[in-house]
Amino acid sequence: MIQVPIDIHNIIAITNGGVGVLGAAVFWFLPRLTRPDLYFAVTVPRPFRDGPEGKSILRRYRIELIVVLVLAFILFVAGIAWLGVGFTSAAPLIESAAAFIPFYRARQRVLPHAVAPTMIREAELHPVNHVIPGGWIAASGPFILLAGFAAYLWIHGMPSDGSSSGQPGGFPIRSLIVYLLSTGAILGVQTLTLYGLVHWVRPVYAGGPERAHELKFRRTVSAIVLGAEYYVTIQASWIILAPRHNGLLTVGLLPLVFVFVLVVIVLLARLGQGGSRMPTNHQRLSTTSTEPVGDRTPDRYWKLGVFYFIQDDSAVFVEKRFGLGYSLNFARPTAWLILSLILLAPLITILAHLTRFLPRAGA
Amino acid sequence: MLRIDLASRVPVYEQIANGLRAELVSGEFNPGEKLPTVRTLAIDLGVHHNTVAEAYRQLANEGWLELRRHHGAIVLERDRPEAGPDTMDRFTRRLADGLSPRLLAREMIEIAQRLERKATS
Repeated sequence: MIQVPIDIHNIIAITNGGVGVLGAAVFWFLPRLTRPDLYFAVTVPRPFRDGPEGKSILRRYRIELIVVLVLAFILFVAGIAWLGVGFTSAAPLIESAAAFIPFYRARQRVLPHAVAPTMIREAELHPVNHVIPGGWIAASGPFILLAGFAAYLWIHGMPSDGSSSGQPGGFPIRSLIVYLLSTGAILGVQTLTLYGLVHWVRPVYAGGPERAHELKFRRTVSAIVLGAEYYVTIQASWIILAPRHNGLLTVGLLPLVFVFVLVVIVLLARLGQGGSRMPTNHQRLSTTSTEPVGDRTPDRYWKLGVFYFIQDDSAVFVEKRFGLGYSLNFARPTAWLILSLILLAPLITILAHLTRFLPRAGA
Repeated sequence: MLRIDLASRVPVYEQIANGLRAELVSGEFNPGEKLPTVRTLAIDLGVHHNTVAEAYRQLANEGWLELRRHHGAIVLERDRPEAGPDTMDRFTRRLADGLSPRLLAREMIEIAQRLERKATS
């Protein structure tokens, strides 16, 4: 009987590999998951995507995608061989960078067929219910859990057999504070995103079934963010509190990441970025003209097709043109605040490591 | 529902003010009701919040709204313009010709604005 060694590094590698495969599947299907009159982040006439030219662009994109992903995989394996298993965490970055190349080339091919979207904008004047699933009580849950976890450690002390480095004697208090702070920062940015999804998203449709569908999509994204908050909190508590055998339980929750990502992708793809699965009631367009609606933003405000930048739009979040979920309007200061907070958690950890290890290095 | 056309030559703040005025004249909002906040409306329309604020200020100056800091815009009790029998006949004919009630309301408002400007000058 062949015995497969169960090792932390294997679990991390398998999880990251699984997420990478899911990412590749997303890039494969993504052009068909956007709104019908947005193709490779360009506003096009509605029939273009299913026309011969549109299909030919898609075919070429997919062939190029396979080539770059194979190259990315070779780079990835070489990186692991050279730098070790820690390199696996760079997988999403390498994959996204690789997939950007065929996307950009396809976009260049679509651009000559671009048309101006309708410039009609609509707003519902009566209040619309944008409730976070479970309300703010559910949203405050992770903070309460984290505070409870900190209080438990304060009262009972550190677990005697637990330490992130595998050394006996428990977690040093300084590490614990850093750990709590960085987890708090992650929760903070997720809560800010939740708030933003309720208050700072620009809808494409102000009424009708499209609006209802958009709201459903937004609530789903909110539920995913909320789920991620609970996951982060539970994992943070688990890592310190759970008794470990060779550190295995530390990463015991990692495979759950794979399941979580899978569920998220399936959910978002099913609900569609206002895209292929939106009600296709072509008659009910908000404008009587034949102009495509797209996302009602001119193409020139989408830098490289992925970065939205317009000063005159007060919205902080807009629907992604190529992707699932929402993108930031980089002309708004709030967007930069959110981005800074996203970078804050790893920054706290890196700074903490530097301040802890610098004296040793000098000694 | 409020609708604006960014490609129109009419300034956006004026389109917003006209659209809101049409809603207020048609009785869509009762006195004491709140309009969306400046920020919410600006986000929904995808315009700068100063543009919406300007439209709200215009309506506040006309006596349609009361602007309260951090509380949004509250609809005020105000006399609505009433049309005479001749005007009613004219507008009924326009509706029979196929003009939508919303566009008719907008047309009426523009006439009223012109008269108001004439009176004040």
